[in-house]
Amino acid sequence: MTTIQRVWRLKNTLLNLLASRCSVCGHVTYPPKMRCPVCGSRELREESLPREGEVLSYTIIRVPAKGFEDFTPLIIALIKLGDAKVLAEVVDVKPEEVSVGMRVVATVRRTAQTIDGGVPYVIKFKPLRS
Amino acid sequence: MRRVYVAGVGMVNVGKHVDKSLRDLAGQAALKAMEEAGNEVPEALVVGNMLSSLVEQENLASLIGDHIGLRGACGLKVEGACGSGGLALMTGYSLVASGLFNKVLVVGVEKLFERPSADVIRGLAYAADADYELIYGVTFSGLNALLMRYYMSKYGVRYEELAYWSVLMHKNGSRNPYAQLRNEITLDDVMKSPVIADPIRLYDSCPLSDGAAAVFLVSEDIKKLTDTPVTVAGVSNSIDSTDLSSRLELDYLLASSTSARNSLKMAKVDLREVGVAEIHDAYTITAALSIESIGFAERGKAPKAWSEGRFSPGDKPSINLSGGLKSRGHPVGATGVYQVAEVVMQLRGDFPGISVPAEVGLTQNIGGAGSNVTTVVLRR
Repeated sequence: MTTIQRVWRLKNTLLNLLASRCSVCGHVTYPPKMRCPVCGSRELREESLPREGEVLSYTIIRVPAKGFEDFTPLIIALIKLGDAKVLAEVVDVKPEEVSVGMRVVATVRRTAQTIDGGVPYVIKFKPLRS
Repeated sequence: MRRVYVAGVGMVNVGKHVDKSLRDLAGQAALKAMEEAGNEVPEALVVGNMLSSLVEQENLASLIGDHIGLRGACGLKVEGACGSGGLALMTGYSLVASGLFNKVLVVGVEKLFERPSADVIRGLAYAADADYELIYGVTFSGLNALLMRYYMSKYGVRYEELAYWSVLMHKNGSRNPYAQLRNEITLDDVMKSPVIADPIRLYDSCPLSDGAAAVFLVSEDIKKLTDTPVTVAGVSNSIDSTDLSSRLELDYLLASSTSARNSLKMAKVDLREVGVAEIHDAYTITAALSIESIGFAERGKAPKAWSEGRFSPGDKPSINLSGGLKSRGHPVGATGVYQVAEVVMQLRGDFPGISVPAEVGLTQNIGGAGSNVTTVVLRR
């Protein structure tokens, strides 16, 4: 279970999907790092990832971690957003309807309460309906 | 660097030890290894552990060291999530190889059966990225399920092909007196077990376990301590990202590949010489990814290989004669030390379960979802 401070510290990254792009080799990494994992350069610039992407893999968690009982079954996916990948929850879809390759779009939703009673909002993804 | 030998090993049965504390488990394994080494007294104690916070205890080397009469010795703890045991072995190795000490006792210990399982599941997930993964409530099984579906989708591998690994492991483990799950199972049992994190079912996963194992390392100067010295010929550790999002590859364990390659190079051993191996099969998918990243099978081909009898007892390599994490059990920070103890016994010819003759053995211990991997090469 997380804390209010953690959610506050991560607000830019988690709500704006800020990744780091290497100015030397061009590699994009999310979450952002202090040195490029590919070439080691420290010349990284922040860049917001696209808010629409595609499910690379997903799982439906039936045995929850403590604090997430109300969010179970919990759909977690790895989502390709532009040149990076992001792990996040997928909502507004039945577990049996999720699929690899599904198009999704970012949306801001409530997540589990923090230890200190906060109700944080984070980016989740919902199906992109055409 | 000086050569390093194994003078003794000790293990306690893996399982649910409600009647034993963390210090009791560790002490029992440690004293057994010391007895095998002719009751020599170690100059240093290296403890591998991940989650002693579950039993509200840190400062483990002092606690365990004092319990077994080692006041005055050097003591430290090493942590690398589920890979803590392998890292402890590597640390012990470096203390002896460097010449700082001649006799070092490495003890891996974990005590999970103390708190409700929801607390334990949460604790195990501390191996993942708290900021960017756990904030969504993902569990450790969930992260491995993401890798599993990706692998199945990319290589067209069916669930049953992966699940068959569990059947093989229970068969091996049924003969290992130290194993936690000694019952044989069928593919049907795996496929009817409850889903934890789709596509991972209960029987695709290792159990929760208490346990402790110890390995007594000595320098060349005093290898006379044992009639059957096994050499630690190579040892290497490699890290990768904690989070899955920034992994360069989702169907390959780069840290495992690097660690295996470096340890084999250090040992001057070709992979084809490896006769027995203990790998970190926390889930069936982890078995496939481990086998492929070490180089025992091509990418996407491990399940086909084991369904055709590869890696079974007597094959080269024979993999997880102990039953692996699936059947022997996975006492988290102790697992890497169990693996080394088991392979040492295989090379000496006194492993009490399925035993095959071998000159060279390998262990691979993973922390997190492939983020911290230690490979050890042992030679008779």
